[in-house]
Amino acid sequence: MSLRPVRPRWRETLGMLARNPTAAVSAVLLLGLVLVAVFDETIAPEGPNETSIADRLQPPSRDHLFGTDDLGRDIFSRVVLGTGVSLRVGFLAVGIALVVGTVIGLLAGFYGRWVDDVLMRFMDMLFAFPAVLLAIAVLAVRGPGSGNTALAIGVVYIPVFARVTRASVLGVREEVYVRASRSVGASDFRLLTRHVLPNAAPPIIVQTSISLAFAVLAEAALSFLGLGTQPPAPSWGRMLAEGRGFIQDAWWLAFFPGMAIFVTVLCFNLLGDGLRDVLDPRQRTLMAGGGR
Amino acid sequence: MVVLAGVSVIVFALVHLVPGDPVRLALGTRFSQETYDALRERSGLDEPLVQQFFSWLGSALTGDLGVSFRSGDTVTSLIIERLPATIALAFASILVALAIAIPLGTISALRPRSFVDRIATIFSQFGISVPEFWMSIVLILVFAGTLGWLPSGGYVPLTEDPAGWLQRLILPAVVTGVVSGSVITRFVRSSVLEALGADHVRTAQAKGLSSRQVFTGHVLRNALLPLVTVTGVQLAYLLSGVVVVEIVFAWPGLGQLALQSVQARDYPVLQGAVLLFAVVFLVINLVVDLLYTAIDPRIRR
Amino acid sequence: MSEAPVLEVEDLRVRLRTPRGPADVVNGLSYRVGAGETVAVVGESGSGKSVSVLALLGLLPAGVATVTGRALLEGEDLLTMKPDRLRRVRGPGAGMVFQDPMTSLNPVLTIGRQLVEGIRAHQDVDKAAARRRAAELLAEVGLPDPEGTLDRYPHELSGGMRQRVVIAIALCNSPALLIADEATTALDVTVQAQIIDLVEKLQAERGTGVIWITHDLGVVAGIADRVLVMYGGRCVEDGTVDDVLENPVHPYTRGLLGALPDLAQPAVDGVVPDLATVPGVPPAPTDLPKGCVFWPRCPVRGDARCETEQPPLAVIGAADVVLPHRAATWCAEGPR
Repeated sequence: MSLRPVRPRWRETLGMLARNPTAAVSAVLLLGLVLVAVFDETIAPEGPNETSIADRLQPPSRDHLFGTDDLGRDIFSRVVLGTGVSLRVGFLAVGIALVVGTVIGLLAGFYGRWVDDVLMRFMDMLFAFPAVLLAIAVLAVRGPGSGNTALAIGVVYIPVFARVTRASVLGVREEVYVRASRSVGASDFRLLTRHVLPNAAPPIIVQTSISLAFAVLAEAALSFLGLGTQPPAPSWGRMLAEGRGFIQDAWWLAFFPGMAIFVTVLCFNLLGDGLRDVLDPRQRTLMAGGGR
Repeated sequence: MVVLAGVSVIVFALVHLVPGDPVRLALGTRFSQETYDALRERSGLDEPLVQQFFSWLGSALTGDLGVSFRSGDTVTSLIIERLPATIALAFASILVALAIAIPLGTISALRPRSFVDRIATIFSQFGISVPEFWMSIVLILVFAGTLGWLPSGGYVPLTEDPAGWLQRLILPAVVTGVVSGSVITRFVRSSVLEALGADHVRTAQAKGLSSRQVFTGHVLRNALLPLVTVTGVQLAYLLSGVVVVEIVFAWPGLGQLALQSVQARDYPVLQGAVLLFAVVFLVINLVVDLLYTAIDPRIRR
Repeated sequence: MSEAPVLEVEDLRVRLRTPRGPADVVNGLSYRVGAGETVAVVGESGSGKSVSVLALLGLLPAGVATVTGRALLEGEDLLTMKPDRLRRVRGPGAGMVFQDPMTSLNPVLTIGRQLVEGIRAHQDVDKAAARRRAAELLAEVGLPDPEGTLDRYPHELSGGMRQRVVIAIALCNSPALLIADEATTALDVTVQAQIIDLVEKLQAERGTGVIWITHDLGVVAGIADRVLVMYGGRCVEDGTVDDVLENPVHPYTRGLLGALPDLAQPAVDGVVPDLATVPGVPPAPTDLPKGCVFWPRCPVRGDARCETEQPPLAVIGAADVVLPHRAATWCAEGPR
C-alpha cells in the first residue's frame, strides 16, 4: 500500500535528537551506564561483599573513591555492581508493561466497543490503585526479589501503556491507509502489525523512556523498603537504606547510591523529553504515569 | 461504581492469594489447635471464598471493615487513627507544590527562555528524577542534623502541640511537595503557554484590555482546567499515603499502615486501606469533574 | 476621500526572529485608508498580510518581531506609541475581527462579559450601562434576542452568530478603523455574504475605514474600493478595485485572476478561481529571492533585471488621479 505515510525515518530522528544537546548527553550517559553494567566486574576494584573491618567507614579517598561502609565494603564497587541490578529490573519491568500494555491498548483501540469497554475498565481499576501500594501488594503475594520487583513494577505500568497505545491507535485507526488496506481484505493481524502499530508507535517509544525512569526509581524505593532486590546482590535502594543510620557521621554511605539513582533517572527523563520533542510534538504521552 | 466494585474484587482476590497463613502469623509460634480453629472461625476464614467476599463487602458498606488480625482493633478505628496525619501531610504537600508550581510555571511560560524559565526546567527535572527517600535523608541531615532547626521525624497531634506538629510537618511536606510541585510546574507552564497562544487572547488584547486584565481574565482562567486535573491526581496520590516518605520521617499515615499490614499479612487492614484509597481516588475524580463543570461552560449540558 | 486619511502606512517593515534565522515578513508596505473606504489586502497565506496588520496594533509577540516604518492612525504614529497609549487606541482607534469565530472568543466567559469588558476598558460607564450598550450592539449586528445572548457562552452560538459577536466587540468603542483579518474565510458561503453585508451597512452608517484581508477575490470584488496585492511581504500591485481586477498588470495578479493563458485555470461557471491556481509556493520569508520576489514562479520572466533587482512600484497609466494604479514588475507588457 503506497498510501501508508512514510514511517519515522530513524536516521532523521537520530539526527534531530543529536541536535538536542540535553537528550544527546543523556543518551551518551545512558550508553555509558549500560557499558558500566556490562563490564561491571572489570571496572569495580573490589567485590560487592568484600568486607574489611580495618577499613570501616572510610571517607572518599584515592583508594576508595566513594569511601567505605560500616562493614568496610568499597562503595564505588558496590555502586558500579548495582548498576546492572537497577537497569535489569528497570528494563524487565518496562518490557512487561510495554508488551502487555501495548497489546491491550491495541486491541481496545482497534476493536472498540465491548472489547474496549472491558479492557479499559479493567485498566482503570488497576490505575485506581496507588502505584507503590500495588507494587507492594504484588511483592507480598510473590515474595521479595528482583524478578518479582520487575513484575510488580511492570504490573503498575501496564495501564499507562494501554492508555497511551489506545489513544494513539484511535488516532490512526480511521486513517485512509488503514481503511484502504482493510478494503482490499487484509487480515486484522496484518492490519495491526503492519499498519496500525508502526504509525501509533512514537508516543509509545516516548512513554518507554519515561517509564524506564520511573521503573528505576520504583525499584530503588522498593529495595529501600526492603521488599525489592535482596542481599547479597548490591542494590542502590538498599545501600541507601543501610546508609541512612550513618547519615550524621558518614554521609557518603547514602549520598553516592542516591546520586547514582538520581543521575540514571534524570537521564531517562531527559531522553524521554528529547524523544517527545522529536517524535510526539502533540504531546500525547502521559507525563507521569500512575503515582508520581 | 463499576470501578469500585472491580477494585474490591481485586483487593479481595489479591489479598487471599498471599501465601502464608495469617492466623498462624497472628498467634505466634505456640498455640493449641483449638485456639487456631477458634480464631479461624471467628475471622470467617473457614468459609468458602465467595461467601467471605460477600460478608466482607456487606459489612464494608456499613462502615465495618473487620478486625485486625494483628492488634485486634477494628480496621475502621485503625484507619481513622491514621487519617489526621495523612490528611495533614497531603494538604501541606499540595500547598507547597502549588506555592512553587503556580508562580514558577506561570512566569516561565510568560518569559520563555528567561532565567526563571531555566530554573523552572531544572527544578521540574530535579523533582521528577530525585528519589524521595534520598532527598528526605539529605534534608534530615541538613535541617535536623547540621543546622538542628527541625526534628528529624515523628508526629504529635495538632491538638496537643501545634508548634511541634508544624515543625514535624515541614520536612516531609517539602519533600513530597517538591516532587508533586515539579510535575505540576510542567503542567502549569504548558497550559499557560497554550492559553497565551489562544486566538481569543488576541481578541482580548485588540479590545484594548490592559495586560493584567488579559492575563487574569483570559489566560489564567483558561489555564486552570489542566491545573485542576493534575492537582487532583497529585492529591489522590498524596492521600493514599506516600509510603516511603512516611517511613523515613516516622510519619504515622495510611501508607505506613498499609506497608505494615502487607508485611504482617493483616488482610482486613490491607483490604480496608486499599478500598479507602480507591474510594479517595474516585471521590477526587468526581470533585475534579465538578470543578471542571464550574470552570468550563462547554461541559455543562 | 482625499482629505486626511484614517490610516496612513509608510514603509512598514516587519522582521521576525525565527529558529531558522530572521524572517523578513513585511518589506516596505505603504498605503492609506480613508474614512468610509474599504481597502482589500489580497495574497496567499504567508504573504505577510496578517502580520502587517497585527504589527500596526502591536499584537505581534514581543521580543520576536521588529517593526519599523510609520503608521499614522488619525495622525498619531502607532509604531512609536507608548504601550499604554497604544492600549487605549485598541478599541476606540481600531477594532479587529479575526478569522476563526470558533476560537477568537473566550470559551469560558459569557458573551456579555466579553463585550462589557471591552466597553468598560475605554468608557467610564457602570456595569449596567455597559450591559445595555452591549445588548444594543448585539441588536445592531443583527442577533436575535440580544438580552438572552448576553448570558450565553460562545459554544452555544453558531459560527455566523459568533462572528457577529466578534464584530460587535470590534465596534463597541466606535473605532475609526476596522480591520477584518480573513473574517469570512471560516464561514459558509451564505453566512459570508451576510457578514459582508453587515460590515458594509455598519461602515456606511459610521463612516468607518475598513482594511479587509482576504485571499478570496470574490469577496474583494464585492466589498473593496481599493485593492492591494501582497506577495513576499511586498505590495506588488495596487489601485482601485476596477483597475486591479479589470486590468491587472503584475504577472502574479494576472495569475490570480486567471488572466494569463499559460497559467490559467479557467474560471468555472463564472466563479473567479482561488489563489491556489498559481503554480508553486510563495517564497519563505527567511529566504527571499534576490531580485523580483516573484521571479521563481513567474511565467513571463525574461528581463535580465528580474533575477537581480526588485522592481519599484511604478504608476501605470494616468499618474494625476487620486488613486493611481501601480505595479511592481519589469514586465513591459502593460495592461491587457
